[in-house]
Amino acid sequence: MNPAELTAYITSNFSGQLETVENDQAEPYFIVPLSDLVPFSKFIHDDPQLELNYLMNMAGVDTGEQFEVVLNPCSLVNMQRLFFKVVLDRGDPKFDTVSNLWAAANWYEREIWELYGFEITGHPNLKRFLLPDDWDDGFPLRKGWVGKNVIPLPEK
Amino acid sequence: MTQDLHTEKMVINMGPHHPSTHGVCRLILTLDGENVVECEPVIGYLHRSIEKICENRTYAQCIPLMDRFEYVTSMSCNWVFALATEKLTDLEIPERAEYLRVIMTELNRIASHLLCIGVTGLDLGALTPFLYTFRERELILDLFEMTCGQRLTYNYIRIGGVSQDIPDEFIPKCREFLDIFDEKVDDYEKVLTENPIWMARNKGIGVISKQQVYDFAISGPSARASGVDFDIRRDDPYSVYDRFDYTIPVFEGGDSYDRYRARVQEMRESAKIIGQALDQLPGGDIRAKVRAMFKPKAGEVYSRIENSRGEMGIYLLSDGGKKPVRVRARGASYNHLLIIPEIIKGLKIADLVAIFASLDVILPEIDR
Amino acid sequence: MELYPIFGWLDGLLEKVGITGPTADLITLVALAAMVFGLLSLIALFLVWWERKISAHIQQRFGPMMAGWHGVLQTVADAVKLIQKEDIVPTLADRKVFFWAPVICFVSAFAAYIVIPFGEGLIVSDLNIGILYIIAITTFTVISLLMAGWGSNNKYALIGGMRSAAQAVSYEIPLVLSILGVVMVAGSMSMVDIVESQSGWGGFRWNIFFQPLGFVIYLIAATAEANRTPFDLPEAEQELVAGFNIEYSGMKFAMFFLAEFVNMFTVSAIATTVFLGGWNGPFLPSWIWFLGKTLAIVFLLMVFRWSFPRLRVDQLMEFAWKVLLPLAFLNILYVGVFAKWLNW
Repeated sequence: MNPAELTAYITSNFSGQLETVENDQAEPYFIVPLSDLVPFSKFIHDDPQLELNYLMNMAGVDTGEQFEVVLNPCSLVNMQRLFFKVVLDRGDPKFDTVSNLWAAANWYEREIWELYGFEITGHPNLKRFLLPDDWDDGFPLRKGWVGKNVIPLPEK
Repeated sequence: MTQDLHTEKMVINMGPHHPSTHGVCRLILTLDGENVVECEPVIGYLHRSIEKICENRTYAQCIPLMDRFEYVTSMSCNWVFALATEKLTDLEIPERAEYLRVIMTELNRIASHLLCIGVTGLDLGALTPFLYTFRERELILDLFEMTCGQRLTYNYIRIGGVSQDIPDEFIPKCREFLDIFDEKVDDYEKVLTENPIWMARNKGIGVISKQQVYDFAISGPSARASGVDFDIRRDDPYSVYDRFDYTIPVFEGGDSYDRYRARVQEMRESAKIIGQALDQLPGGDIRAKVRAMFKPKAGEVYSRIENSRGEMGIYLLSDGGKKPVRVRARGASYNHLLIIPEIIKGLKIADLVAIFASLDVILPEIDR
Repeated sequence: MELYPIFGWLDGLLEKVGITGPTADLITLVALAAMVFGLLSLIALFLVWWERKISAHIQQRFGPMMAGWHGVLQTVADAVKLIQKEDIVPTLADRKVFFWAPVICFVSAFAAYIVIPFGEGLIVSDLNIGILYIIAITTFTVISLLMAGWGSNNKYALIGGMRSAAQAVSYEIPLVLSILGVVMVAGSMSMVDIVESQSGWGGFRWNIFFQPLGFVIYLIAATAEANRTPFDLPEAEQELVAGFNIEYSGMKFAMFFLAEFVNMFTVSAIATTVFLGGWNGPFLPSWIWFLGKTLAIVFLLMVFRWSFPRLRVDQLMEFAWKVLLPLAFLNILYVGVFAKWLNW
């Protein structure tokens, strides 16, 4: 399936609400409602036409206005790629784990939890691993984060 | 005698400073005698927060940071970032630059595989192949030094092209290297591939099933050793890889031995690609015109290339400004380390070393 | 060259000074011990240098080149450096065990040389249980490694010590059984008798020609006894960092290190004595023949080390019990039948 067909297939077969984003990249791009993250993931992971069984990348994003989680699954069976994201609630960033679908998401999510402070429901092992164990200095990848020990550059 | 002996499990801290964790990785092992009952990797000793630093640098300034993202194959790291950025622009990359990128990255792939094979030998107690592989690796590093002045962090592949053209003596030297290289690979194979002890240590050790490859997002030679015929160069093509004639070695065993063989075969194929690229190398510019204060379009992209260890990707979010909003670097070792606790259970502590080496886990890629 | 004339000369010298009886005996013995010790230290220093050179040439390097001609003085320099090093004892180590482990290792390695015939007449004491004595005394090394592993209070060291104990117990058996074949033929356990039983027939009476299987079994088991690759599991650098000697530094480490090389020379010397006809050989003096054959075996062990990967611990045990042991019994059966038939 080419990207256009793939977009059409997914929008017509998935029951939830999807927002398609036009872009000039090689893969379809969706914005999935937060509540549909797990059903949508399950759909694209299990559907025999899609079989997006390989999670290339998963990243937390802070655009400055909103928190997002970006997922890039792909299929090693029919070599298709997909790009989708969920937008989190800025006041209470929280999403459900997808690590029971893609085991690789285990550490991706752990990293998001650690560096962005998004709460992940149902994750099996939320422990610090990139930062020191006794870290209590906030979430460094959020925009506008200033650490305790950060010395700002002098104004020019 | 039905009375059980009272035995205790031993918790042993392997690393962060341990000769065979290839960097500073700590593995908390629970041992029952020599058997590994549980293994918990602890990472973060090499965390340099490259992703955060990138957010405060211009795109051009990010390229040298990417060198440090995974310093064994810096060329790929440069390239994957440049590729992601170029996808958000309308830059026309000159053909010569594309060919130079292919040549350099394939040379880098060979150098990385040589390191991996040598170190795997070292970890299993075969001390000699290490020196043999480093002998050839040296020739490749000489080629890099000749081209960009660096032997480890090249900063060679830039946005829009490459930093400088190859010197005149590069092509004859490179051909000289390719001529001897196949024989040298035969040498390593003589020392290792058919060695009964090597086979006993590697065969059937650390088997990764096809399903695990999908679930844990294993990629590169490690995935191809498990029978997954997947190579980004062919299946998600980028650059000029569609113009070369090469095969992608796939093995079915999924064990350490097949991962080793996949790497050896890949080196031969890479040498073929370099030979063809040198034949086809066109003239012309080496760099598109890129303004000093380079700004891509607003948008987001995930680009990936086939690195020596597997899939290396960059997720890039740009708001059209001069600095990226978000960069996430994805390295293959991240997933390869994640699977080690799954496949090590019940094996010996010596197997852990063999698996760690055969998956070619490199820590800077994980900690970033 | 023989030892006893030297003894006689020393006794005469002492008598002239006026020392006789037990005192004179003691002085002679100490002088003798010093001679053997000095010789072995020289050999060990040479072997360390030689191994470095061999490994370097196998790996297309030069190895040590700066100290002396082709670096011959390198090991001397290293030894001097090690002597000067601070002696570090881990805080929680078992100090007595930690201290005595290298001493026992060192002493047991050297004590074996009492019965090794360096040449015709060049033997400190020709015990009638010579070969049994050597096997017994070299086994003490294992106790020292176990002590080092336990005393260091380090988990890696402990695993190394345990491995060495398991390994030594397993490989001792095929080793002894392979030597037994020779003892059956020679009809004696004295080292001199064993060598003399192999003289004549223009060199074709060496045991290696009649018991090639025994020789191979011995060589493999001896490699394991000397903790050399592919059987160097007690000190596997990559898994156990350095195994039993991880916490040792300075002179204590040097003692382990020297003992390792002396042990390697011991197993090669036994191979020479038992299988390669000892000092027997035409034209040259007997001690040159002995030394030449022994160094040839040492060379073989060194080439093993730099060409093979290391076995895993369970494969090592399996190999000893399932392959070497049955073969060793087969060898004894063969020797028994043929010794009777051929009337060696």
